[in-house]
Amino acid sequence: MATKALSHQRQQLLGRAIIYGGLLFMAAFYLMPLWVMITTSVKHLDEIYAGSFIGLPKQITFEAWQTAWSEACNGTACRGLKPYFINSLLMTIPAVLLSTGIGAINGYVITKWRFPGSNVIFGLLLFGCFLPFQAVILPMAQTLGMLGLAGTIPGLVLVHTVYGIAFTTLFFRNYFISIPDELVKAAQIDGAGFVRIFVSIILPTALPIIVVSCIWQFTQIWNDFLFGASFTAGENAPITVALNNIVNVSMGRKQYNVDMAAAMIAALPTLIVYVVAGRYFVRGLTAGAVKG
Amino acid sequence: MNKFKLILMATATALPLVGQAVAETKIEGLHVWTSASEVKALKVITDKLATMGFEWQDSAVGGANGANAQQALRTRVAAGNPPAVMQFLGFEGLGWAKEGALRSLNDLYTKNGWKADLPPVMLQFLEQDANFFSTPINMHRQNWVWANKAIFDKAGISIPASWDELIASGEKLKAIGVTPIAMSDESWQIEELFESILIDVNGPDFYKKAAIDLDETALSSPEMIKTFETLGKLRGMHDAGFTGRDWSAATNMVANGQAAMQVMGDWAKGEFLAKGMKPGVDFLCFPTPTATPNYKFVFDTFGGFTINNTDIVKGQDAVAEAIMDPDVQKNFNLIKGSIPARLDVSMDAFDDCAKRSFSDRVEAIKNNAIYGSLTDGFAVEPRFSGVFQDVVGKFFVTDMSAEDAVQALVDGINNAR
Amino acid sequence: MTGSISLSDRIAKWLPRLVLAPSLLMVLVAVYLFICWTGWISLSSSTIVPKYDFVGLSQYVRLWSTPRWHTAVFNLVIFSVLFLGITTALGLLMAILLDQKIRSEGALRAIFLYPMALSFIVTGTAWKWILNPALGVQKVVHDLGWTSFVFDWIARPSFAIYCVVIAAVWQSTGFAMALFLAGLRGIDNSVIKAAQIEGASLPLIYRQIVIPMLRPAFLSVIVLLSYIAIKSFDLILALTNTGPGSATEMPSTFMYSATFRRDQMGVGAASAMMMLMTVAAIIVPYLYSELRETGDGH
Repeated sequence: MATKALSHQRQQLLGRAIIYGGLLFMAAFYLMPLWVMITTSVKHLDEIYAGSFIGLPKQITFEAWQTAWSEACNGTACRGLKPYFINSLLMTIPAVLLSTGIGAINGYVITKWRFPGSNVIFGLLLFGCFLPFQAVILPMAQTLGMLGLAGTIPGLVLVHTVYGIAFTTLFFRNYFISIPDELVKAAQIDGAGFVRIFVSIILPTALPIIVVSCIWQFTQIWNDFLFGASFTAGENAPITVALNNIVNVSMGRKQYNVDMAAAMIAALPTLIVYVVAGRYFVRGLTAGAVKG
Repeated sequence: MNKFKLILMATATALPLVGQAVAETKIEGLHVWTSASEVKALKVITDKLATMGFEWQDSAVGGANGANAQQALRTRVAAGNPPAVMQFLGFEGLGWAKEGALRSLNDLYTKNGWKADLPPVMLQFLEQDANFFSTPINMHRQNWVWANKAIFDKAGISIPASWDELIASGEKLKAIGVTPIAMSDESWQIEELFESILIDVNGPDFYKKAAIDLDETALSSPEMIKTFETLGKLRGMHDAGFTGRDWSAATNMVANGQAAMQVMGDWAKGEFLAKGMKPGVDFLCFPTPTATPNYKFVFDTFGGFTINNTDIVKGQDAVAEAIMDPDVQKNFNLIKGSIPARLDVSMDAFDDCAKRSFSDRVEAIKNNAIYGSLTDGFAVEPRFSGVFQDVVGKFFVTDMSAEDAVQALVDGINNAR
Repeated sequence: MTGSISLSDRIAKWLPRLVLAPSLLMVLVAVYLFICWTGWISLSSSTIVPKYDFVGLSQYVRLWSTPRWHTAVFNLVIFSVLFLGITTALGLLMAILLDQKIRSEGALRAIFLYPMALSFIVTGTAWKWILNPALGVQKVVHDLGWTSFVFDWIARPSFAIYCVVIAAVWQSTGFAMALFLAGLRGIDNSVIKAAQIEGASLPLIYRQIVIPMLRPAFLSVIVLLSYIAIKSFDLILALTNTGPGSATEMPSTFMYSATFRRDQMGVGAASAMMMLMTVAAIIVPYLYSELRETGDGH
């Protein structure tokens, strides 16, 4: 009896060990690039050129971070990443809010106010998710030019909003579809109209999916390089474009430590969003964002 | 006037309303110079502009060997918002000039007599349909070998007189534990080697037939096979870590003594000078080995897009004048590592490698042995030089045979015609 | 007899369409009109700027006679299959492991998810060093003493694409894990408990019961990962720059270089149309089945 219980216990322990071991091994694999980035950004440049890129720093210095933030050169403008950081904020936040808001309303309409053809419209919207963006750069440039928005941040906001609607509509539609129609019908009988139902019944339950949508959109828009490089230049550029100019320097010793520090600065907002709001992300997904 | 031009003009006139070129004294330029030394050289031009009453508005787009800047340019033109001034290399400017998008600088050229001050071989890249559209600031030479003198002495080798000799010296270098050639597996860096072999082994006339005229007989000839075979012999002369290496990292390998030689244009010279190394003493510069001395060039030019705005027109003229100013040419090139485009600038302040480049250029012009670099876009249009790059790059990193490479080259060129 | 329709009924009829109209209009222009534009250009002789003439299918012929395009298509197939397969499997495994009431689940989840927050440029640069034989993993292992260890895939034309797979899998597995975790959390525990009482082992339960119940999550994972696979442009440019040679060329990078580097806009447009047609061939049937099903009442 005792041996059976013992071997069962051993089996349990072995099972736990395998689970933890597997997770820790994978965690190491996942952390390795972050390790490389952080250690490189605090090393002296000579140390990087002398040794391998993966080892521990002999001496820690934050000079590279200082340079990256306020002194690194984007062409002849040597003001670091700070101004472009602000540009990215000015671009990302409105685009996230707009695309999320429009997606929420679209999802609401498609699920609760269906009409003949509403599913077709949803399908048309959804196909936009799969568009390779390189293909639309030139016609979009012409369009922005016609609208007088070429080279401006509002132009970028428009572009990101338009291409974000496909995703946000998908998220909200999949979420709202699980809200019982009876709730809506009951509210209509009580006299509530289109807007009232949305504001007092649908929205309050939508917090998880709003978070999911905002996180996804923030990440996609903040990290975008293609649209930023195509539709802005110089002072109006977002941080990814400036980062590219700082990193892709063709002459002189590459300042790897500044490059990595700059890359980390560019990545900080999205990292923070994911680490802090990550649990809401999963919670939001659990609450039905991905029901097929 | 074709539709494209119409759209361009119409939207460009609306420019002040869009708020792009606002103040009278600003002139905007799009270029690829993002590193510290390049920006320092650019400052020579922009300082001169400031004395002329114009403020330079910088739109630098770096990376991808100029492809990002090309993309930015195309999208801006599509949006009806072209840059006032644009940096052009090789055939880039000609393409836009053919579309009628660039402003003619004939008045300035006539007034200042610039045509006579420039090497004749440059002119074909500066004018289209009898209209001059851009001005050159410099001339880089592509076919240099940069070598570490101490290594050469240690291995007991002298400057090779032929590619076979260069390849033979590789064994001696490997014996003392030094990488013979510092390079990368990036296709364009391999192409730099290829085009040097092409002209050095087969002569300038063959280079013209094959790389510039794209003559099919030349492209499929035994000489072409021999070129690939010679390139193939270089496969054992680089180190294992050459994958994805930046060209300046390779230059640093030579400067540090980890490698003996690099075949690269004279933009590499700055790396040595920045370390305080002296030509002839610490590092050697010599043209790639050949029996038929030749000169392959690359140069930067600036042109202006047609924009209906008198201030911008004045600014574009100012940029052209600043660039062609002999002092600006001298000071710019002292920093950049190239030689002035103008033939009449004094070379006294320049280092020995630059002086040699200058005199070799004069010789090559006399002997009709000066041609544009294939890799850097001065031999043929991008769709053809792209084919060369694809085939050469693939050949070097695989075990493709020379015959297969030549066949692939011929097929590729014909496909792109 | 049909009485007159009240105003509120009329509003109820038209308001939804009005509300959807702006989005529909934007998408019609930004997606479908632009696709038509690309299609027209693919039938034109455009090189450096758009030309609106008609040259039939010659650009497509040119496209398919380019060996680099064949490489790109081949790479896309290999990359997509491997990327989707490995990311899905790994994400599922991680989700299952994390679902076992692990301590510090939050920290582990953050570790697996954070790569998604990084832009491809950042990921590509970091992995480029890690995979470089002279600077990264191979060198570290050599320094540790195992000098015959070889890991130079990124330098070998026939293996470089697998390096792209590694970096892409690293970046996106956390997201698949999050989706599966959400799905797992949505499964009723009583079903599992019942099976355990019957004596079924845990692996068997997972295989026969849990995974089939995750079908909706699978579909979403596949769809969203496909989107990421199509967008793999930034990652390749940062990691290998389509090298060595053109060994890691993909349709997206091919299209980009044809249009913006080689002055072959017509060929670039043709390649874009090929990409779109492939995507449509896969996605449209999926969308059709998806929307038809839920339209019948859910």
